[in-house]
Amino acid sequence: MFGKNNTSLRPVSIIGVGETKMGKLPDRTLRDLITQAGTTAMQDAGIEADQIESLFMGNFNSGYLCNQNHMGALASEVLGLGTTPTIRVEGACASGSLALRQGMIAVASGLCDIVLVGGVEKMTHRSTEEVTTAVASAADSVLEFGVGATFPAIFAQLANRYMYEYGNCREAMALCAIQNHAHALLNPDAQLHKAITLENVLNGFPIADPLTIFDCSLVTDGAAFVVLAATEVAASLGKPARHIKIKGSGHAGDSLTVASKKSLTTMAATVDAAQQAFRASKLSPADISLVELHDCFTITQLITMEDLGFFEKGTGAQAILDGKTTRNGKIPVNVSGGLKAKGHPIGATGLSQIYELVTQLRGEAGERQLSTVNFGLAHNLGGTAATCVVTILGRE
Amino acid sequence: MMNGTIYSYTIVRSAAEEFKDQTPYIIAVIEQDSGSRVLSMLSGYKEGMQIRIGDQVKLDQQHNTYQLIS
Repeated sequence: MFGKNNTSLRPVSIIGVGETKMGKLPDRTLRDLITQAGTTAMQDAGIEADQIESLFMGNFNSGYLCNQNHMGALASEVLGLGTTPTIRVEGACASGSLALRQGMIAVASGLCDIVLVGGVEKMTHRSTEEVTTAVASAADSVLEFGVGATFPAIFAQLANRYMYEYGNCREAMALCAIQNHAHALLNPDAQLHKAITLENVLNGFPIADPLTIFDCSLVTDGAAFVVLAATEVAASLGKPARHIKIKGSGHAGDSLTVASKKSLTTMAATVDAAQQAFRASKLSPADISLVELHDCFTITQLITMEDLGFFEKGTGAQAILDGKTTRNGKIPVNVSGGLKAKGHPIGATGLSQIYELVTQLRGEAGERQLSTVNFGLAHNLGGTAATCVVTILGRE
Repeated sequence: MMNGTIYSYTIVRSAAEEFKDQTPYIIAVIEQDSGSRVLSMLSGYKEGMQIRIGDQVKLDQQHNTYQLIS
């Protein structure tokens, strides 16, 4: 499943999931978002609060955005977890899947049988400048934000370098946004239900050349939760036919700043985390039925598909133009709508991706259900790909 | 003086509060002659100027930023 010595670790199953609608939700508090997603996940798992042995809570920056830290304790109170131990997990935009990874380690190690993992973020009540400042704290506050860089400015430089090394990919980048918006039309939890065109993207409000507003992910309020259990324990819990197994997990890091990266067109943390997850699951990219990946910007979707091993480096743009990543394509990407259209509630995003994979693997995705789903892969990045978690799920 | 070349760049048009008066401005990864890279604002940009990866830049020691060589 993961790690160097699989034999001493217990297999882990996801036995319940829950999420809120993603979006601009001015009337909803952190407590309210946690209550809905957390309660839904526990009900879905068929367990009571007193069965949960630990809570791992992903949250990026409610300290700044909402003047609310200590998110583990807040969620515990809301969900009635009593003296259950809690911890908040933070790794920028990868906070949610880092929480999942920590919960998985607790179960696999034998420390716990059943744990709750959650993620939450509330962002839309703040001004654009305040959100930009909050998000920028995931970069270097002196060497990057301090000289005038923003996150779009950093990823725009990845795009320009990619075009220098591999040729023009502007239309393929735009197509990532167009596809994700089209996919979100079928997802009731998505923030935006609006089709966009190539002209919309190319002529959108300019942010940092070549990125326009339509190349950037959304500012979102939302929460997502999952319940994990040791697979051997899960057999007696809830509805085992709906349980989904964690087949592989990888977690890798890289240097924080863009100037210190060896390459701007290959994200070393993605490559490393993906290799870990594929090795652990004994699967290869050809086995994967769908991918939920971290499209913080359109260029990230293109680079990530190459780094995960789905396309050779330098060929991703053509593959996207050929339609290989649409929901009807060879390897559907972000059928939920992704960060671009489902939304990017930072601390919850990694778990929102897991929610989509589990829903698709169970065959419960309604209108957006894919026909053949055996294994799903989630890819969640923090900062300038300085943290990466890759998770592979399957029914068996 | 430590000169360098542009490794990558962007023209920032939407900035954070403390930099928004300076838009549009260039942020670039500079590959210094020493081989190490650094992120810097590039002074001397005027709308419509052609910027290319590989262009040479020089250090403006007074402002501790790099500037375009026109």
